[in-house]
Amino acid sequence: MNALALVTDAFGSSGGIAQYNRDLVAALAEIPGANRIIVLPRLGDGNGGALPRGVRQLKAQGNRLSYSLTALRAAVTLGPFDFVFCGHLHLAPLAALLAAGLGVPFWLQLHGYEAWDDMKRAERWSAERAKLITSVSRYTRRRFLSLAGVDPSCVGVLPNTVDAGFGPGAKSDVLLDRFCLRGKRVLLTVSRLDPNERRKGHDRVIAALPAIVTAVPDVVYLIAGHGADRTRLEVLAQSLGVANNVVFAGSVAPDELPQLYRLADLFVMPSTQEGFGIVFLEAAASGLRAIGGNADGSIDALADGAIGVAIDPNDSEALVRAIVNGLEGGGPDPSGVGRFRFENFSGHVRDLVNGHLLPAAGAAGTAGVAP
Amino acid sequence: MCGLAGLYAYHYAANPIDLAELRAIRDHMAARGPDGEGEWQSTDGRVGFGHRRLAIIDLSDRAAQPMASADGKTVIVFNGEIYNYRSLRSGLEAKGYVFRTQSDTEVLLQLYASKGAAMVRDLRGMFAFGLWDGDKQGLLLARDPYGIKPLYYADDGWTLRFASQVKALVAGRRAGLDPDPAGWAGFFLFGNVPEPYTIYRDIRAVPAGSTLWIDRRGLHQPERYFSIPQVFAEAERSATKPDAQSRIRAALIDSVRHHLVSDVPVGLFLSSGVDSGALLGLMRDVGHDDVHAITLRYEEFRGRHDDEAPLAAVVARQYGAKHTIRTVTQEEFRADLPKIFTAMDQPTIDGINTWFVAKAAREQGLKAAISGLGGDELVGGYPSFNDIPRWVRWMRWSACVPFAGEAFRRAVSAVNDLVPLAHPKIAGFLKYARTYAGAYLLRRGVFMPWELPDLMDRKFIREGLRRLDPVRHIASILKPEPRTAWGKVAALESSLYLRNQLLRDTDWASMAHSLEVRVPFVDASLLRAVATDFAGLPPAAGKRLLAAAPSAAVPDQIVTRAKTGFSTPIERWLKDDERIRGWQQVPRLRPQNCPWARRWAYQVARP
Repeated sequence: MNALALVTDAFGSSGGIAQYNRDLVAALAEIPGANRIIVLPRLGDGNGGALPRGVRQLKAQGNRLSYSLTALRAAVTLGPFDFVFCGHLHLAPLAALLAAGLGVPFWLQLHGYEAWDDMKRAERWSAERAKLITSVSRYTRRRFLSLAGVDPSCVGVLPNTVDAGFGPGAKSDVLLDRFCLRGKRVLLTVSRLDPNERRKGHDRVIAALPAIVTAVPDVVYLIAGHGADRTRLEVLAQSLGVANNVVFAGSVAPDELPQLYRLADLFVMPSTQEGFGIVFLEAAASGLRAIGGNADGSIDALADGAIGVAIDPNDSEALVRAIVNGLEGGGPDPSGVGRFRFENFSGHVRDLVNGHLLPAAGAAGTAGVAP
Repeated sequence: MCGLAGLYAYHYAANPIDLAELRAIRDHMAARGPDGEGEWQSTDGRVGFGHRRLAIIDLSDRAAQPMASADGKTVIVFNGEIYNYRSLRSGLEAKGYVFRTQSDTEVLLQLYASKGAAMVRDLRGMFAFGLWDGDKQGLLLARDPYGIKPLYYADDGWTLRFASQVKALVAGRRAGLDPDPAGWAGFFLFGNVPEPYTIYRDIRAVPAGSTLWIDRRGLHQPERYFSIPQVFAEAERSATKPDAQSRIRAALIDSVRHHLVSDVPVGLFLSSGVDSGALLGLMRDVGHDDVHAITLRYEEFRGRHDDEAPLAAVVARQYGAKHTIRTVTQEEFRADLPKIFTAMDQPTIDGINTWFVAKAAREQGLKAAISGLGGDELVGGYPSFNDIPRWVRWMRWSACVPFAGEAFRRAVSAVNDLVPLAHPKIAGFLKYARTYAGAYLLRRGVFMPWELPDLMDRKFIREGLRRLDPVRHIASILKPEPRTAWGKVAALESSLYLRNQLLRDTDWASMAHSLEVRVPFVDASLLRAVATDFAGLPPAAGKRLLAAAPSAAVPDQIVTRAKTGFSTPIERWLKDDERIRGWQQVPRLRPQNCPWARRWAYQVARP
């Protein structure tokens, strides 16, 4: 099996989509018979350390034209390919054309809000020609189906998986001292602080803090992640008189992240813009109880409330109740997160590839041939 | 004849199924199965079935559902009747299969053990079922060749839900309820929601004559095992056989005999038409001589030519049937209207007649009744059999003049919007009438595509038309395409109007009264036997052949009577009943000559 993967970023990049693409490429490489997987990213330095066996990542091409030309050259010279994987809706027109030119199926992966609202005509046209579409969550799938006239049975769900490096453990003394958290109960959010992504819910948690402090005086809200929105949040905390209960951890190195989760007593992110919300999985895998919104892909990461509490993100009283209850040890047991382990993810990738994309696809038919 | 439901948490990320949800779906269908209820859940909690039973064959509790195989690995929920179950059973017993019940449900389980999913090809009857194969860890959904019995599913990407009714899935509260623009556009075009669409994007029909396999990977593509146009195409290829009359009689006798397999009395819906009259005669011929026939009469029609009762009485007398004439008044319609809207599974402009005749049959203590549905599709009894081929012949030239159709359409519509002189369909004649699919849309259409933006949100309905692509949708039915004009029209009528309108409406309107309706004219074996025998005959000649099928022919006065179809006084009720007078606010629906179906469609969309 040979595949050409057009992605925004993968090896050597940070962020949720890059992580997803690395996991997916690793899962593809595990499929028996997998031979060659060519990855062409838009971004990233390609120095992502060791690549899975059979995987080759080409040099990133940030410019749209050079990306297209490189993809075309790869399609012609590095093939033959059995299918084209397209890791982002914005790349779908190119992927559809290449796949049509090669006479092979193409697989489109949807992440988050790129597939939620108005879609460009070319993107819709190409999405409607994909042999297989997978969405990171049921929510993104639903939003996408409202925009594109695709048979719902062609759109599956392939959720994020969680790295085995996240797990429960003792709190790190170094980090406790760095953030002055000794003797405190810690509420944690991990995300970028991007002014363009203000729907993550930091504001909602800060606004709830006065009520939370009343019930749990030793609470500290630890905000991990960097970005230009930090100043605004600092001002908000000050104006509400809870500046002393908020700690900004700034940017956290990937190898420190598992330890950061272990510092916390409760993870909270009442967001309304999650395609999925991999941080919920990381938190739950670290043994943390979690609270998220019920109005976006978070509901999948929280497994409809089985892994963490899913609240209406605009219901501030519900948020306070859930946080206070969570800090006192209430809420669902996060161990259900085990379902998102890599073995399940890669097994599903294998089933999808064998069932939809390889030549024997459809042989598991029913009426014609008994299943 | 029952209601079935099931949940399958097929995705590794999904939570185990919720029994409360399963029961909510199942119990929404209590009227479909008042005689019993059952549920089953797999030991790992990933699959569950629910069932409401209307007991018709093997009334004992042993035949209750869900039913598991002896080793417990295969489990089924089933709605319908397998008319050849006794011969299938004998065949299986000869191969060593051992049966525990007298039910047709168990035959399905054993037949699956013997043949796998290919078993559906052996079944004669009306059915929808869900079957869990524990060995293969997969779920098989299947639906009969014509789509007599309904089966809907909703897939959210983690969990699959299925049920006999759309509204049952809605009652479970977990299926996505975003409106489907294609389903709504289809409703206003056809007067019914064309399958596989429903009015909800996430809920779809298992296509008629198809199976659907779901395993941990998710849904596979539906596989069609029966195609109506293919039967016509194949029949046209074989040489015409002589002696049509005796072959028609033999095939009809065979179908009627099969459709009377039952452990409870089977009644008959009797109109003043040839179809139900011939069925009554044929029922007598196969030795069913204590038939209870039910005829509906609308008080408004009493003494008029569309009063069914007097001629139905003549037929009943001729064949010695017990005859009940049930009169429906406007007061009863007024009282039943909310219940009709509740029972109506999806928007439709039909079903009112079946609602009342099924109600009458149940009042008479019947649990099952025969209906003449499908006779017109079989013998070519609709005007479309003449009109569509003629229109296509007339308009073939217009293919050579590109854009003329659309220009004509725009010009006539513009004039008509100012002064509504012509029927709105006239505007589309040049554009649509040159192909069978287009002409069919003209013939059967309630509204025309360009009228839809007046009825619903413009953006929504434009997207609906884009997704449905109505002419292409109709044309996709004709694969493979029958060679003759007659075959094409018969295939279209049977695959669209009969399936999406008549059969679906018969299902919800009869099941609301816990009455099973059987349709001997809607039978794949019958179709194969007589597919081309009626081809090319004028409607009257087809009806005469049918009338002559019983050993004592249907009386002449029935055969020579002009076709009225089942009609209702709904045109008048739409003016009298304030609850369904909203159409008066819509300019397009106000003209005197506006067909009632348009007004009723508008009201049905806003109950």
